[in-house]
Amino acid sequence: MHRKEVNERSPMRVLEHSIHGGLGRGNIGVVVARPGLGKTAFLVGIAMDDLLRGRKVLHVSLEHSVEKVRDYYDDIYAEIAHKRELEDVWKVRVEMERNRRINCYPPERFSVDKLRESVEFMKEHGEFEPVAIVIDGWDFGAKTTEDIQRIRSIAEELKAEVWMSATTHREAKRNERGVPEPVAHLEGELDVILSMAHDGSSVHVGLHKDHDSDDVTDMQLALDPTTMLLVRKR
Amino acid sequence: MTSDLTKLRNIGISAHIDSGKTTLTERILFYTDRIRAIHDVKGKDGVGATMDSMELERERGITIASAATHTEWNGYKINIIDTPGHVDFTIEVERSLRVLDGAVLVLCAVAGVQSQSITVDRQMRRYNVPRIAFVNKSDRSGANPFKVTADLCDKLKHNAVLMQIPIGLEADHQGVVDLVTMKALYFDGDNGETIREGAIPAELQAQAEEKREEMLEAVSMFSEELMEAVLEGDPTEEMIHTAVRTGTLSRDLTPVYIGSAYKNKGVQPLLNAIIRYLPDPTEVENEAMDLEKGEEAFPIEVDSDRPMISLAFKLEEGRFGQLTYVRIYQGSLNKGDTIYNTRTKKEVRVGRLVRMHAADMEDIDGAGAGDIVALFGVDCASGDTFTKNRLRVSMSSMHVPEPVIHLSIKVVDRKTEANVAKALARFTKEDPTFRTKVDEESSQTVISGMGELHLEVYVERMKREYGAVVETGQPQVAYREAISRRAEFNYTHKKQTGGSGQYGRIEGYIEPLETGEFEFLNEIRGGSIPQEYIPSVEKGFLSMMKKGKLIGFPVTGLRVALQDGQTHAVDSSDNAFQAAARGAFAETYHKAKPQILEPIMRVSVEGPNEFQGAFVKTVMQRRGLIVGTTEEEGFVRVDSDVPLAEMFGYSTDLRSASQGKAEYTMEFSRYAPVPGDASDDLIKKFNEDSKAKA
Repeated sequence: MHRKEVNERSPMRVLEHSIHGGLGRGNIGVVVARPGLGKTAFLVGIAMDDLLRGRKVLHVSLEHSVEKVRDYYDDIYAEIAHKRELEDVWKVRVEMERNRRINCYPPERFSVDKLRESVEFMKEHGEFEPVAIVIDGWDFGAKTTEDIQRIRSIAEELKAEVWMSATTHREAKRNERGVPEPVAHLEGELDVILSMAHDGSSVHVGLHKDHDSDDVTDMQLALDPTTMLLVRKR
Repeated sequence: MTSDLTKLRNIGISAHIDSGKTTLTERILFYTDRIRAIHDVKGKDGVGATMDSMELERERGITIASAATHTEWNGYKINIIDTPGHVDFTIEVERSLRVLDGAVLVLCAVAGVQSQSITVDRQMRRYNVPRIAFVNKSDRSGANPFKVTADLCDKLKHNAVLMQIPIGLEADHQGVVDLVTMKALYFDGDNGETIREGAIPAELQAQAEEKREEMLEAVSMFSEELMEAVLEGDPTEEMIHTAVRTGTLSRDLTPVYIGSAYKNKGVQPLLNAIIRYLPDPTEVENEAMDLEKGEEAFPIEVDSDRPMISLAFKLEEGRFGQLTYVRIYQGSLNKGDTIYNTRTKKEVRVGRLVRMHAADMEDIDGAGAGDIVALFGVDCASGDTFTKNRLRVSMSSMHVPEPVIHLSIKVVDRKTEANVAKALARFTKEDPTFRTKVDEESSQTVISGMGELHLEVYVERMKREYGAVVETGQPQVAYREAISRRAEFNYTHKKQTGGSGQYGRIEGYIEPLETGEFEFLNEIRGGSIPQEYIPSVEKGFLSMMKKGKLIGFPVTGLRVALQDGQTHAVDSSDNAFQAAARGAFAETYHKAKPQILEPIMRVSVEGPNEFQGAFVKTVMQRRGLIVGTTEEEGFVRVDSDVPLAEMFGYSTDLRSASQGKAEYTMEFSRYAPVPGDASDDLIKKFNEDSKAKA
């Protein structure tokens, strides 16, 4: 099967459809879940979808090493290549790797300024301008609306989509949309909010906020626990 | 024989070059009473540490080969497996990591965690080796064990916990405070052999209490009993030891010890920690591969009564002759036994079984599961598995990575020719990633391996150990060729020039094979080609794979399916069908869009932040691909994939780009297609060279 087809059949399209055409450039999306449900895999899935469409992705991790993140991509790539009988496996992989950068920081060394600095660095030294940025492991607890606004201005300048993960816990307070802390207090600044939760056999992906739309019906999407790929719910 | 396995430790001492690994090993052997005098690694007396048996290692101050030394401490038996420190020796490092159950990670108190430590640590992680850390060289100026411990947590992501604090650092380093017993330890006597316990110096009391609290907090995560006792305020030493052991064995905790091997400080407490916290052989899970069932996992039980399974992990030509070090995983190995080599399928008799001590050798009658011993005069290669009852299992995969680089060598002095041959025969036995052959066209000897340095070291060893000086040619990258799409063939080989003719027609297709080198499918139905000629077809195709048609390098990843054909009652023969296969290959190869593959290396550069731009540049200039960057306090690491062909002379370039402040590691990653331009250049050059020769 050719790469284009692979992409058209991706459940990622269902996600895009559910959130009315996708996150959109210059916008910020967050996936919130308790530890261990596969937030990293979910973000890698989103990034992989962009990569398979030939788009450049910057993956920022405050949690894993470069090698670990790369393993995530390799595993998910192998899974996709195998499952959908991708042709030109080698070539696509090299192209994909050319379009991907993984930047890792200890959490205390990362900041919005740092992000700006490294985006500028990549532009200058590597002629690399991402159109999707994923930020994994950022602590939302201490973040203010101003932090999010500053990330938005980077996203707008680059015309990039920004996806972030946020960790919540069992007793976290939820707002009226069902968004748990530590994301709830920033809801107004975010364009899309997704959540992940166990529902027996799989990890259900729910939609809490979709730009300005009130229609946040169930997307019927889940994360397959073995392949860590997004799948349609039966 | 019926020894208590819980009192056995197989450990490795692993470190960055120059962290003082050899000195530490040597001190351990001294205190455990196996050698009489202390020598320094680069000592004035010229004797050198005992573990460094090789001349070359002595000169460079590094240890390359692994060996196992047996010693005893407080009624425990310890086998110390010496692990090589350099990444170019991947297979050797990995093999020694296989046979050990736990390790001491030695770090320099001044330099801390360096890129080499990261590589070694990564390998240990891969083999699930529990570790304790020793912060050495605390007597050096700039020593800071606290920072090194923080490094362990930040850079290597260990849950590292100080079990001691230093009493004085740099020139003032006198001893340590044990945070479990809350006693000061001093190391008296000429060689620090007498341990004097004392009260904690008043000025350290507060710090000791603070650090003990930190330690207890981290350690009590592994024991509820301890957690409760800490809350009550009365944890016992025993509780702490048990909890530290649990955390260490599950690899969730790295206890950190402090000292200076050179100044004889802190070695004995480290030995106590080794026997207290590192696992005994029964606590480590090992698996063999079932050769009858496609290398499926074969569970091993550390039980001396079951059939014996052991791994030959190191060959050594020492003072006493040819030695083979083996680790016994299951069953027992006795003098006089007949054992079966599962690779060669040959049986050999165990004539002599010995245990190697630092200075001498002890003959033994037998050894049980979990132990490490050496065999005398057994012919085998490193990595071979021995079993009893012809059990067909293997401890290591039969798949060894193909070498990525070739180097032609020429003997300078004809008289040493025999020695070169001897050296090469030995090296290839010791190290399956090191190969040698004589090039058919140039009739030159060519050695092959996993990197430039890998080969350089063997060239050096030839000189040192065998007195044979060789001249080397330009290193040559080991390219491959592979087809990228399916193509059909229908080829008739026909010759009618008097006498008996030749006839064979074959039909089928070739296509890329993703894993493996060659596969032949016989899809003939109805006997259009008789069974006897089918191996001839396979043989014909195989013969064409030695030299690809693009640049003359071996073809890999090829599947051939034979579907139909035709024979002639008189003129068909083995030769005719081989020729038909060769013809079919030649005709179809280009239709299948062949491409050149090159070895891609995983290159990791590390240095001060301000050089990040320079690092990226050195990689980009070399057709490299930046995978990612990691920023740490003042340091940055750039991970990249770079074609081996572009890596020659890299260390010089990196040095000038970073004012000598950066270091890099390189390891083989995979083969990947050479991109268009570079590929055209290679083809052009090959055609020119061929023309020149013709």
